[in-house]
Amino acid sequence: MTRILAVAVLFANAYTICFAAEISGFVQWNEHCADAIQLGHAKVVLDNSVASGSISRNGNFIIPDVAAGTYVASVVSHDHVFDKLRIDVPPEHDSPPEVSPYTIGTPLNPRSPIKLPYPIKFVPRQRKSYFVPLQSFNVVQMFQNPMMLITIFGGLMMLAMPYVTKNLDPALLQEAQQSQAKFTSALQSGDLKSGITALAGGDDIRPAITTATSSPSNNTVKNRTKKRRT
Amino acid sequence: MRWLHFFGLTLCSTVLALYESDVGVVDWHHPLVGVPLTSSLNTPPTFHSIPGRPPTEALLLTATSSNVLACTAHLSLSDSGTAWRFIFAPTDHIIHYQQHRDIVVSLSGPGGSTLRTFDCLTGQLILEKRLHAPHTDHLESDDVGLGAAIAFIPESDDVFALTNGRTVRRIGADGAVRWAWESADKSASVVYAKLVTTPSTVYVISLTKSSTSKTLYISSLSTSTGELVASTSVPLSVAAGPSDVLALSSDAATLIPRVVWLEAGTILSVALVPDLTEKHTSVMGSAYTRIVDIGLQNKGHFVALTMNDTGRVLKLDVDKLKVIWEFTDSGKSGRHADSLYIGGLDRDGFPYIGRVFWSFVVRKASAHVYAPHLAAGQGLVSGFTFNFDTEAHGIISHVALHTAYVKEVDLLPYLALTTSTGAVQLWQGDIVQWTREEGLSRLQVAEMVELPEQKITAAHTVDERDTFVERISRQLTDAKELHLYMLNFVKRFVAGPNASTQKEIAFDSLTRDAFGFRQVIVTANDLGKVYGLDSTSGAILWNRVLGLGWAAQIGGQVIPSKLFVVRTIADGGSPEAVLVAQRRASNGLVDTVLFHVNALTGEDVLGKSPADEVLQGVDLISGPLLEAYQLPGNHKAVILLDEFRQVYVYPETPANERALAKAIGKLNVVLRTGLPGQRQLTGHQFSNADVGRPTAFATWASSLPAGEEILSVIPRPSGPVASLGKVLGNRTTLYKYLNPHLVAVTTASPDTCGVYVIDAAKGSIVYHVSIAAKQGRCDLHATFVENWLAYVYWEEEYQWVGQTKGRRLVSVELYEGSKPDDKTRSSELSSHSNKTLAVTAIEQSYIFPHAITSITTTSTKYGISTKDIIVANENGQIQSFPRLFLNPRRTKDKPTAEEQEEWLVQYDPVLPDDAHRVLSHNYHVANIRHILTAPALLESTSLVFAYGLDLFGTRVAPSGTFDVLSETFNKAQLVFTICGLAAAIMATRPMVRRKRLRERWYQ
Repeated sequence: MTRILAVAVLFANAYTICFAAEISGFVQWNEHCADAIQLGHAKVVLDNSVASGSISRNGNFIIPDVAAGTYVASVVSHDHVFDKLRIDVPPEHDSPPEVSPYTIGTPLNPRSPIKLPYPIKFVPRQRKSYFVPLQSFNVVQMFQNPMMLITIFGGLMMLAMPYVTKNLDPALLQEAQQSQAKFTSALQSGDLKSGITALAGGDDIRPAITTATSSPSNNTVKNRTKKRRT
Repeated sequence: MRWLHFFGLTLCSTVLALYESDVGVVDWHHPLVGVPLTSSLNTPPTFHSIPGRPPTEALLLTATSSNVLACTAHLSLSDSGTAWRFIFAPTDHIIHYQQHRDIVVSLSGPGGSTLRTFDCLTGQLILEKRLHAPHTDHLESDDVGLGAAIAFIPESDDVFALTNGRTVRRIGADGAVRWAWESADKSASVVYAKLVTTPSTVYVISLTKSSTSKTLYISSLSTSTGELVASTSVPLSVAAGPSDVLALSSDAATLIPRVVWLEAGTILSVALVPDLTEKHTSVMGSAYTRIVDIGLQNKGHFVALTMNDTGRVLKLDVDKLKVIWEFTDSGKSGRHADSLYIGGLDRDGFPYIGRVFWSFVVRKASAHVYAPHLAAGQGLVSGFTFNFDTEAHGIISHVALHTAYVKEVDLLPYLALTTSTGAVQLWQGDIVQWTREEGLSRLQVAEMVELPEQKITAAHTVDERDTFVERISRQLTDAKELHLYMLNFVKRFVAGPNASTQKEIAFDSLTRDAFGFRQVIVTANDLGKVYGLDSTSGAILWNRVLGLGWAAQIGGQVIPSKLFVVRTIADGGSPEAVLVAQRRASNGLVDTVLFHVNALTGEDVLGKSPADEVLQGVDLISGPLLEAYQLPGNHKAVILLDEFRQVYVYPETPANERALAKAIGKLNVVLRTGLPGQRQLTGHQFSNADVGRPTAFATWASSLPAGEEILSVIPRPSGPVASLGKVLGNRTTLYKYLNPHLVAVTTASPDTCGVYVIDAAKGSIVYHVSIAAKQGRCDLHATFVENWLAYVYWEEEYQWVGQTKGRRLVSVELYEGSKPDDKTRSSELSSHSNKTLAVTAIEQSYIFPHAITSITTTSTKYGISTKDIIVANENGQIQSFPRLFLNPRRTKDKPTAEEQEEWLVQYDPVLPDDAHRVLSHNYHVANIRHILTAPALLESTSLVFAYGLDLFGTRVAPSGTFDVLSETFNKAQLVFTICGLAAAIMATRPMVRRKRLRERWYQ
């Protein structure tokens, strides 16, 4: 009996000698991927599928027959995104493989100073979303559109303008008409800049005077309207 | 200008976005599992009852030629949905699977190097364990399935696995090896092939492979320790293969397992006891010619054929084997084909033995099912005939049996048939429950064919002499259709553009939709079947079995080589397709056969084969085919080259022969010549012979280095080129290099992979790149269209600081001359001109996110829309990558105003892996081998059909649907706005009127 066991142990040793290293690891379930049912059939591959191991029901995987060297490990999964890792398998089998983070598009060499624990841990980073939501028709949303608001405002102003101009101080009205005329003449002459400044309120000094003179008159307008109403 | 740039990017990322409501409307997916492996008894379809569930909820498990372990949904469903499937790696062949309780165990790889266990119901992987290195030192490549076996003992989930022909392990449910035993005999000729278990002992039975050594070795091991108890050898008078030796066991503890073999017409058997001291005994009675394993070895039953092929059922009994039944009239006869014998179990584990055969007399299939335990142990046989459609499905190659609803005098058998054309059918008695066309998983060639327009009701011939009354009455009759027209108009307004292709179109009216999205995909597989599929749903419109011609007597295989559309709707009449195939007869003779079908109906255009019979082809070349091409121009004739480089034209009409004679001087083709391992590319031109057929003669030969193997030759598609150049921001033009003779070639040698672009007219290399590869592993995929070559490969080199290994996509654009505004008119240039090599290649490499199995570009009617890349990746997705990101002229720095005008984006080495561009979204589209793209009637849209293990179809609009109102276009908002404006006008009209009136009064 002991002889048989010894033979078995001998064979086991023989296998480890002729086998290359075996890499193991697991998938850490999280909110992006809660279990193996969500993950589906997935596997962990090294490099260009030189070696691979399927992820089992409990999230573990074993990649057998890995020769010494540096590899990029990635998870082949239909719906989930995982980070890639750099795995360094040492030539001596007694020391475990070294795991370090690797971002696609960054140099693999030199190795990142951060060392990750072994066995390898893969964390689902994201569940892929393939669809964009269909924009449904929404009246409220339609009226929230700035273009729509401008149109409505314009329409309202068009209706309200006669009343506004009627109640406006004649001096102010005259001034507005003047600046408008200036703007039109500037436009006709092609001097867009001075036209815009004219519309904005003429030169730098003028607005100050206008505001100074207009404010009491404004009051008078208000007073007058109040009087009229009364 | 910046906004334009951003607008471009946003446009690019949104045009292809998928809406969830489009799923199943614009796309379809047919998951398949592959054709069941019926050649070995370790992998064919078998039924499995689920403990504690009704017998109709049994599962059908199978391993397939596509290397998939699959389980179809339970039998009571009329639909044949796949419950689960596990796709093995291409090098990891399934060689054995077995179900035990609620798990399925598989052995795969050479000698069964990997053991996997799955949950029987959900298909979840429980355990994956490498048992030995995936190379077998003493198993030859032709018998990879040999030397592996699985056995169980009752009341335990431990697996006894024999692998590599000599090692037995007991493996616990957690994957721990409880013990391992290896045969001391290391000689290559002894291969252990069978395992028999009893609760206390495991018997390992070996066979010798060589014809000189004729011995059966049996070893007995203890189940608990793996200790060798005894070992013996039995000399045989004839050499036996694995199918000639059976190992019978039974659940009943009183029955001792026996090894059974046939020797000189006598069935011999030896009882298996732990100390292996028993002597062999023979079965008395008539002489036998063959013993047949019916899958009931562990229930102690098998079938033996007598001298006249009559089937007898034998059963393991106490101390002997016993003949319990003889199938009457099962002997050799001209009235029926050879019988298939199969065993099955019911839910309670009782065995049933079935015989299925094809009757030439009634032209139906018959099944006899024998139940040994029924009728108070006397046995009961139930027989029925069923209407198996041999014209559509070929012949029955395998049957699996399951029995449900067993009563004392009746039973309800389920038969799962696998046919020679790759169909799997489930029959409940004589009613077919479902048919799965698994032959679609082995498609080799495919083409899309446009459908004709719907026939408009014959227009009236307007007669000038019509009287008024006649005209009115005619117009009134026409007006009858008005409401339909109105209804259709409203429908079109309310529904989106997708509505035109929705399933409401009846299948029998084979007409195209408004935008040409509906086409017929003509396709053929290597199992001798040609199909017509609907491109909007993937439904099979028609299918025909390809006839073997003279080889029908001896058997053979028709392997499709090429498929050409020789007549389109533009030529008038029904579209036609020609399938060029090679027929390999069983005697080794190879012929080239052409099948000419109507693409809409599958009818034989030549009228030789009626619609309900197999499609017979035309034997054009008595020998293998070298290459086949389609003649450019309007004639669309097929030209074929035989091994002596003689040119054949099909159809052999005088018009086609004249067209060939006219075009023959301008044709240049590239052929692969030389022995395997020393292949070269040789350019050929054609010459008209005074007598006999025109021949091809070599004009140049490539000088590929020794050992460089040609992987693929990718011709440039002859689609329309919308623009001959690219106008740059500085108003100069880069003219596209559009030499019509270009081909792309990918090669592999032990340490490098190569990509070439070669001028087929004179063999000059226009572009060449060499990529370092490890051990000749060239995972290289390329696509070539217009002046654009894109290839994906694995970059191995990372040793220098700053380097990284990973997958790369290289985008190469070829332009005329050496600088912008150089123009050589390459598309019209004579191949003798020196200017053909005045070419500049602009290339850029990108980091590509996934490994791919196929790559192609979109194709549109006029070639105006952008050409995106479509790939099938290892994640089981069909994904598109926008051309904008693949522009090799992307700037290293922030783009200047001029560059922004060209829509150039700043270079980023990583190509974004955008999930919104996964065309196949939630579908798992597995193992795609090829993607076919075809133009629709709309310039914006390209149809996509991907085939491999699965089939997938969709359509894409790489530049957005600029020629049709977008699906997202808000019609409601448009209507609402118009109504609002109308209301505003109505409200303001009286106001304006009043105002005008007042103005007139007070002015």
